Amino acid sequence: MKRWLGIALGIVTSVGGFLEIGSITTAAQAGADYRYQLAWVIVLGTVCIALLVEMAGRFAAVSKHTIADALRERFGLHFFMVALVLVFFVSLLVLAAELGGVAVAVEFVTGVHYPAWAIPVGVLAWGLLWYGTFSMIENGVSILGLITIAFVVAAVRLGPDWHAFGAGLMPSLPSKEPAHYWFIAVSILGASISPYLFYFYSSGAIEEKWDVTYLGPNRVIAAIGMGFGGFLSIAVLVVAALVLAPRGVSVDDYHQLPQLLASPWGRVGFFLFAGCLFVTCLGATAEIALALAYQIAQGFGWNWGEDLEPREDARFSLTYSIVLVVPMLLVLIGLDPLKLTTLSMALTAASLPIAIVPFLVLMNDRKYLGEHTNGWLGNLCVLIITLLAGAVAVVSIPLEIIGGS
Amino acid sequence: MRVCLVRDVLDNQLLDARGQNAGKVDGIVLELRQGEPPRVRYVEVGPVTLARRLNRRLGEWVARLDARLGDGRGVPIRIPISRVTLDAPSLGLDVAAESTPIMALERWLRRKIVSRIPWS
Repeated sequence: MKRWLGIALGIVTSVGGFLEIGSITTAAQAGADYRYQLAWVIVLGTVCIALLVEMAGRFAAVSKHTIADALRERFGLHFFMVALVLVFFVSLLVLAAELGGVAVAVEFVTGVHYPAWAIPVGVLAWGLLWYGTFSMIENGVSILGLITIAFVVAAVRLGPDWHAFGAGLMPSLPSKEPAHYWFIAVSILGASISPYLFYFYSSGAIEEKWDVTYLGPNRVIAAIGMGFGGFLSIAVLVVAALVLAPRGVSVDDYHQLPQLLASPWGRVGFFLFAGCLFVTCLGATAEIALALAYQIAQGFGWNWGEDLEPREDARFSLTYSIVLVVPMLLVLIGLDPLKLTTLSMALTAASLPIAIVPFLVLMNDRKYLGEHTNGWLGNLCVLIITLLAGAVAVVSIPLEIIGGS
Repeated sequence: MRVCLVRDVLDNQLLDARGQNAGKVDGIVLELRQGEPPRVRYVEVGPVTLARRLNRRLGEWVARLDARLGDGRGVPIRIPISRVTLDAPSLGLDVAAESTPIMALERWLRRKIVSRIPWS
């Protein structure tokens, strides 16, 4: 019974935690500029993150090691530092985008420009981490995150052309502006396949003391949780295709985003969007700050744990506190949250080969996984998707910047 | 039992007598002896060794910072190999890390910062 409750809760947290500013923005841009044509990229990204999350949970349950821990043991200090610095830099930008998302949500409600909210929302996120527990953050924020199901209701209500939508699920070449199309495609992949997500998931599995009996539930949580999460992203894309595309609105200003729900539901929809943005971005802010602190603490062998009191793991707790300062400053000086989001998602995609290929090597190491190493199909899928995402990102980021959009 | 120093010892997790994380093995000290094979004497833990491995100047800088934490700091923390047991894939220590220099930074941060934040 307890295990099934755990599975249900795991699925709820995966669904509630899936959408954040990255997936909302990139799916909205895709729908606004290309209607349903980029839906297939969300499917691809969702398959890849579901496979990776299953692997991260399996790795923790079988080896009792977190990924960061094993990366240093297996590849040594120098490689670990290179990967750490890279993932850290990209994740800090993503963190700034998420924190900016929370601040923008408060701006929508209060009318006060978002930089003014950088410090209050940063302190709020810090307070959650400092005084809260792991399950409080994971379950609490994610259950509130189920509010994002509003996008599915909106999508169905607006009545999409199912035939055209079905065609969008098949990979296709761009109908216009190929460089922009591929840039949005990699941004979607970067938003779906976030390295912080599986670092966070594997640390959570260790915090909750998973063992091999969790392999089944882990598979169910990864498949259904991430599957439904991807479904929510697709709902955002559909709503954008029906609300923004007909008016010729291309998402280049964050003030356009609330239209997604304000269009079907008026003022209520406007506040509903602000609520979605606030909850999901706050959750992502807490998770990314924790994931970065996990990575450092595990790589350097410190005591760590969100369920310990800060005085029991002072280095760990102060690491996530310091990590939160940089994004607070970036939002405070008024960096545009939308530009920050688009750029950080594309950079995430570019960093995927370095963040994920070593993890795949670990997943095939019998020293850690015994008989539970990866099968060839999982290896192949993840390898192809991450290498393609990295390669297309490296080509399309400069083109997008030169294109000036 | 055959132990590969780089694979099984270097960069692996140290657990203290209470099962608490006590850092990673950041360095290994060998003694070279005339006419005899080298012998492992110590494992080194802590930021000074870690930084030295990455870059000599970074190591000097970290050592200067570390020296401010108290007497006897600013040098690598050395643990005699006789106090270390191999419990693959981790290594065990026969003392509690809390009272050793391994936790000096942790203790310093706890005392100077964490304890001053309300309700911590």
